[in-house]
Amino acid sequence: MKNILSISSLSIGYDKNKVLSNINVVVDQPKLITLIGRNGQGKSTLLKTLTGLIPAIGGGVFFEDKINKELSHKEKSKLFSVVLTSPPAINNITVKDFVTYGRYPYTNWLAVKKEEDNWQINQAMELCGITNFVATNIANLSDGERQKVALARAIAQNTPIIFLDEPTSHLDLVNQSELFDLLHQLVEKQAKTIIISSHQLNLALNYADEIWLINNGELEANTPDFFMKSGKIEALFGGLKFKYF
Amino acid sequence: MTSKFSILSIGLVISSIMLFMADLALGSVYIPLPSIVDILLGNEAEKESWNIILLSSRLPRAIAAILAGSALAVSGLQMQTLFRNPLAGPYILGISSGAGLGVAVFIMGFSVLGISLSSSVWFANYGIVISAILGAVLVLLLLMAAIAKLKDIMTVLILGIMIGSIATAFISILEYFSQEDSLKSFVLWTMGDLSSVAPDSLKMLFFIVMIGLVAAFTISKQLNAYLLGEDYAQSLGTNVNVTRYLVILVTALLAGSITAFCGPIGFVGIITPHIARMFFKSANHFYLVPLCVLLGINIMLLADIIAQLPGSDKTFPINAVTSLIGIPFIFWIIFRNKKIAALN
Repeated sequence: MKNILSISSLSIGYDKNKVLSNINVVVDQPKLITLIGRNGQGKSTLLKTLTGLIPAIGGGVFFEDKINKELSHKEKSKLFSVVLTSPPAINNITVKDFVTYGRYPYTNWLAVKKEEDNWQINQAMELCGITNFVATNIANLSDGERQKVALARAIAQNTPIIFLDEPTSHLDLVNQSELFDLLHQLVEKQAKTIIISSHQLNLALNYADEIWLINNGELEANTPDFFMKSGKIEALFGGLKFKYF
Repeated sequence: MTSKFSILSIGLVISSIMLFMADLALGSVYIPLPSIVDILLGNEAEKESWNIILLSSRLPRAIAAILAGSALAVSGLQMQTLFRNPLAGPYILGISSGAGLGVAVFIMGFSVLGISLSSSVWFANYGIVISAILGAVLVLLLLMAAIAKLKDIMTVLILGIMIGSIATAFISILEYFSQEDSLKSFVLWTMGDLSSVAPDSLKMLFFIVMIGLVAAFTISKQLNAYLLGEDYAQSLGTNVNVTRYLVILVTALLAGSITAFCGPIGFVGIITPHIARMFFKSANHFYLVPLCVLLGINIMLLADIIAQLPGSDKTFPINAVTSLIGIPFIFWIIFRNKKIAALN
């Protein structure tokens, strides 16, 4: 069977400033992966490199054994969807029209929706619980609601992989755990692979199938159990406390 | 959404037909409306002179107004999306200044060299058009080179303003050294003149504008994606760089050709997309492009009607009229929205 995602000897960063080097990870089955690390350690840079928004310094990223660099934008848009920390630049649009963007890779040049497209849009909005304000302008939503709309857009794109950069940042505790629960369901029921960066350690350890821990320029991938037993997470965040406070 | 769009566009088509007829009816010689319809349908008019006035003067000018209005409005829309700036337009990017410099070099440069343009009308007319297009293309090539080097599109916008200023500076130098008659013909060109388009050139202009408008409509999906921001647009399968080049090419075609034939006509390109968004309350280009075409036609015909208000055979310069309508409108949108960034 083909690997869903494999990262081999990847070095990432901006220009010549390496942030992380020699990353080697293989994802061979659908799972919820949480990326953990302190601010500035390269979480966003890693997600942007994996999605091809910034070039890698060295090594390669493979989706189903095809190297990222050689995939067209169109091919990539059917392999993975992305929600970034920066909000979309548009304001003058309704929730439904925004979620409809998720179908852009599949529609023709006139963006005409077919039955399948409408179905995907509706189920994505239902999953995210935003069916009550389909006709609302996104400028009038709260931060939390807007985050759900952004996620619905990514789900509507119906890709095997979804990348989410700190999707919990504007949500309260209830919404945060609902989000992780929803992501967990997507993995279980729709066989998605979801890679999210988050500062919510408890939720991450509770829900994730795998943790990617970034520390001191290295990425280590393992199960939540492993990290809890090894004490590495406490070392990462606890050590900070002793040093600086 | 679709029904609202249908109602709006039907309304705009009706108003543009009315304005078109009014534009044809106005002028120093009174021609009754039934006779105008008669002449347009190919029948003989009661007076031979009416035929000539309508078909060789008023009709070409009204058609030029329609072409200019639709082309400038759509190129303004494309620029505002590309630069994410509600005040962007073909003029701000220095495209029209580039065209102006081309024309200035042609009109005044030749007279400095001692070559008189009055010797050949044909040479003078086509020379102006070709030099304007060359000037516009030159600025666009500079902008495209800048886009390839600079990632930030706002920097390119500022660069466009700078290029425009340099072109204007060169124009001033040329003006200072040029002779009276060539200076006058250049200044007349800068005032804009819809009636200066000869029937032959009108066909060419029609062809270019049609290509530009169709091309603008066909990249609507990419532009809609572009509104999300470059990263998101890319993640939805849009090739952002190709989209940028296409937008610039389309704008060059539309704004460059109109500037060449009719002179610089300001503010139609900036205000029309705002009016379209205000009416339609959406940023969807599939609807905004046709709406901008219709609104641009209405605005330009109205401007041409106002330009003829002095009566007799004198008309206001069209560029002055569009500025007089356009600038108060821009003030109004700024004060109404408080924050101009909220417009997109």
